[in-house]
This record gives sequence, structure tokens and C-alpha cells, in this order.
Amino acid sequence: MLTRIKSEITLWRVITAIIFVTGIYATYLRFFVGFRASTNLSDQMPWGLWVGLGTLCGIGLSAAGFGISAAVYLLNMERYRPILRASILISFLGYMTVCVGYLYEIGLPWRFWHPIVMWNHRSVLFDVCVCIMTYTAVLTFEFAPAVIEKLPWKHLRETVLHFHHKILVGIVLAGVLLSSMHQSYLGGLYLIARGKVHPLWYSQYMHAMFYLSAIPAGLALTVMAIYLSMRSLNVRVDFSILSDCGRMIQLLLIVFAFFKALDLTANQAWGYAFQRTSEAAYFWLEMLLFAAIPIFLLSYDRVRSHPERLYWACATVVAGFMVSRLNVSINALQSAMGTHYVPKWTELASSVLVIAAAVIVFRYAVMYLDILPKLPKGPKGFTRWMSNSSLPAHA
Amino acid sequence: MATKKAMLIDIKRCIGCLSCETACKQLHGFSPEPEPTLSDTAFTVVETRGDKFVRKICMHCNDPACASACPVAAISKSAPGPVLYNADKCIGCRYCMLACPYSVPRYQWSKLAPFVKKCDLCSERIKAGGQPACTEACPVQASVFGNRDDLIAEAWNRIRGDSSYVPHIYGLEEAGGGSVFFVSDVPFEKLGFKPAPTGNLPVPTLTASALGDSPKVVIMGGTILSALYWVTQRRREVALAEAEEKTAISKMKGERS
Repeated sequence: MLTRIKSEITLWRVITAIIFVTGIYATYLRFFVGFRASTNLSDQMPWGLWVGLGTLCGIGLSAAGFGISAAVYLLNMERYRPILRASILISFLGYMTVCVGYLYEIGLPWRFWHPIVMWNHRSVLFDVCVCIMTYTAVLTFEFAPAVIEKLPWKHLRETVLHFHHKILVGIVLAGVLLSSMHQSYLGGLYLIARGKVHPLWYSQYMHAMFYLSAIPAGLALTVMAIYLSMRSLNVRVDFSILSDCGRMIQLLLIVFAFFKALDLTANQAWGYAFQRTSEAAYFWLEMLLFAAIPIFLLSYDRVRSHPERLYWACATVVAGFMVSRLNVSINALQSAMGTHYVPKWTELASSVLVIAAAVIVFRYAVMYLDILPKLPKGPKGFTRWMSNSSLPAHA
Repeated sequence: MATKKAMLIDIKRCIGCLSCETACKQLHGFSPEPEPTLSDTAFTVVETRGDKFVRKICMHCNDPACASACPVAAISKSAPGPVLYNADKCIGCRYCMLACPYSVPRYQWSKLAPFVKKCDLCSERIKAGGQPACTEACPVQASVFGNRDDLIAEAWNRIRGDSSYVPHIYGLEEAGGGSVFFVSDVPFEKLGFKPAPTGNLPVPTLTASALGDSPKVVIMGGTILSALYWVTQRRREVALAEAEEKTAISKMKGERS
């Protein structure tokens, strides 16, 4: 008996348990004791890790859903259909984490519905709220068939799916527009804080920079998630699709790096990059992780067509993206606000809890729904994916 | 429309007695100890800069950044001048704090139902025909309250009548101007006054262009995507039809031979 219990205790289960225990305690502190006990936020740093990691990274890393669905539904790029559902699921769960995180962030969470009825069309944050709410509904709609097709009632299933199919393209189109708007508006949030945001990041085109950086990051996260699913669950997609995603990510990163350089030149901000300040260091860390290293790595076919190497290249992109968002939301503000903000452990623990919950839901969805093509019963293994690429495409 | 009111703060006259700060705290029922910076229990403070005293207070902008930023329109500029906060609407997102170029709004970080706190220029007292507690308490008329036009004239009078004044009224035009302005005998930048990030333009203009572009982007993006969709669908239909034709022809050939 004891040995059986022992064998159930794996490293990942222990980590998950720690995440849940600390996260739930942090959640208790946030909702029952208050901001003082659960954050290091202050009047000088009103937005911290929850906005930087939870919202900015959460939405940005969920950008693949609209990209891939536009490619498949609007541009008829059938090649990407096998990873369509996975990318929509990742986006859906990403937006769910943001919606939950929103309740942590706002001081009066029971008033979460206020932006629906109290409008301020001059506010970027209002537009962000409305777009995110609407787009979460769109994602729910796009993902719904994966659940509906598992329902036991045949007639209902067919009626709903028939209706769904009829309006799908229109909804996808709306989703692409909504995404484009709020992905950029997240950067637009900081437009009003000119003089507070460090010149290495402030620009009148901040919203465009956010848009350009979100798509490669979202794709990179999707590649990572699919790689991990293939490694640990009984699913598989033609790996060359992911290789093509790698190429696409590289292209998008080059576009981002080009416009970032152009933007810095236009704002005459290059000088700040060569000062001995922490901002300059964070700036170069961002440029290395989000541009230089992945662009270099992904230019090699040896990296793109090797699952594990592609995974790590994408992990660099995701890490660089997180550095970039935390730079704008925290590091760029500190010197102008005359403060030094280090998030409290509770801020991190509650964010990680919400992300971990999403990862677990993703895992079970991939296991029990038709998200990725399932491997036929038989020998499993890491090496099998490369050799057998003629698996039936998932429709 | 109500006459526009305003507050003039004269740094040359201020003696740093903290009467304004104390009166404000007393009015709101806060503990009377002076605080170093603005807080959720100090809507105005007197900061020492060298041998000068500088009041920190909400500038009550004409086109306030906080009001434009608030997603639920909880902050608004009232006709007589005060920028008012409606606690019933607020969701506690704290975007106003990020948006304010003067970093004035404060938050009740220690409360379980926290609200934003800032000076409201004693709006209720003004409505009743009175004046703010701070100007009432000032013993040397360093802070005075009155009709905006009269106070601007008064400010220029003080500058003209005494050559030691800097010939500038800070807050009259900065960031689109507001209902609180300063005159001083020491250059403002030496007293910690930052130039407004937008010069004399209201701060909300920073977001106006990005927001104004969105309808264009939506219409253009929607049209382009619909066109692309139509083209790719058409190509698919044509390819399908051609493939069908081919199979039909090859079938016919097969039948013939």
C-alpha cells in the first residue's frame, strides 16, 4: 500500500500541490485581507505583476487563436487545420485566466460588470474591457463544437452544429477584428502615461508594437503546448506544420525587430539603450530573448525541424515576450514614479495558480475531447512522430 | 452654467504653517498628523523645497487624464471646476492613478473595499456658496479661492506688482489648464514642478489618435479580410469544379476505350 502511494508521488504532482496550496492561500489573502497583505502595490506603482503577467502576457500569449483561425477559415490555409482547435483552446483558456485575474486586479471585484453598462468611449481601458469580454464570447463560440460533438443527444448536436457552421465565418471575422483591436489597445493603455513610461518603450505607436509582438508570442506558446501534448499525451500532428510555424514566428519577429528599431530611431531613443541604467539592461535582455536569439536559432533548418530544439527556441520567444511586457508594465515606470517595486510572493503565487489551473484544463481537454489528432493505439514514443507523418489530418 | 471657480496658490506668500493641510484633514475627519506626501488620508500636503513650501493638490484639469482614462466614467469635470469622483461607479482598476500626469489620485490600499481618494475642491461647500476648507484656513492668502477669471487677473496683478515673481502662472495652460494654478518667486522647475508631458495640450489627446483610428482599422480590416475570404473561397470552388471536370472527362475516356 505504502509503495503504491509512493509511486503516485511524482515531481510534477508535488509541484502542482505546492502551486495550489500557496495559490489558494494567496487568494485568501487577496480577497479576505486585502491588497496590503497580498501585494506590494503602492500609490507609486498602482499596476504590478497582475497586470504585467496576468493581463498583458495572458492576452498576448493567447494571440494564436485568432491568427490560426483567420488562416484556416478566412484564408483557406487548410494545412493549419490540425492545430486549429488546439490554438483556439489555448486562447480560450488564456482569456479565461485573464477574466479570473481581472477579479484579483480590481479593488471592487463584485462590480466586475460595471464596464458593460457604464461606458466611457474615451477610455482605452474601457475598449480593452469590452473587446476582451466580446472576444471571450467569440472564443467560447469557436471552441464550443469540441464539447457539443461529445453530447449524447444526436438531434440537438446536429441542429446546433449546423447552425454553428452557418455563422462561423462571420464570427471568426469579428474575432480577428476584435483581437487586433485589443491586442494593440493593451499597449495603448500606456499611451496616456507619457513622461512616466521610459523612452525606450514609450512611443506614440506603442499600441502597434504590442500588436506586432503578440502574434509571434502566441504562436510560440501554441507550438510549445502542442509539443508538450505530443510528448506526454496520446496525440500527434504532422511535425512539419510546427516547423512552418517556426518559420512564421521568425518572420514575425524580424518584422517586430525592424519596427522596434525604426520606432527607437524615430523617437531618438537609442541613446538611452547605451546608458548604464537598469532600464537599458532590461531593454537588451528583451531584445536578446525576444528578437536576436530566436531569429538566429529559427533561421536554421536543424532547429526548426527538430522538435526539442524548436520547443526551446519557442520557449525563448515566450520568455522574451514576458520580459517585454513586464518591462513596459513595471520596469519602464519605476524611475519616473520614484519607486522600486518587487512583487510580493502572493502576487506571483496567485498568478501561477490561475495559469496552472488553465494548464490542467488544457491537459484534460486534449485527453478527452478531439483537440489534436489522437495517436492510434500501438507503440508510443518520442521518435515515432518524425517517421510517421502521413497521419490522417483532423477535420 | 455656473461660474468657473478656481484656486490660486502663491508660493512666495506661503509660510509653511500647514493650516491648509490640517483644515483639510479636519474636514474629512482624518487624524491631524501631517504626512510627507499625498495619501488616502491627505488630499493636500505642504512639501518643503529648499526654503520654499509647495502645496501638492489635485490640479482639477479642464480635460482631465483621469476622467478620460476611467473605463466606467466614474470621474468627471464639473461645471464650476472640481474634478469629481463617483465612488458608486468605481471598480477599483486604478488606471486613473497611472493616467494622471501629476500622480495625484491615491488608493485605500489597506481596505477590503478600497476606493480612490483625491481632493474634490470641497465641491459641496462651493455649491453652498462657500469656499474650500484649505483656502479658508490660509492666514496669509497664499491659497485663495474665487472666480476663475478674477483669480487669473489677481495672479497677473501679483506678478506685475512684484518683480521677484516668475512671470508664469503654472497650471493655467499646462496640460490644457485647470482650476488650480500657482505663482512663485522661484522658477517652477526648481521646485519640482515637471513640465506637462503634452505641453499645453490636454493629456487625453495622447490616446485620442489611437482610439480615433480604430473605426478606420475595423472597416478597412473587415473589408480586406472579407475580400480575401471571397477570393480564397472562389479559388477553392474553381479548383473543386476543375477537379470534377477532370474526373468526368477521364471517366468518359475510360468508357470510350
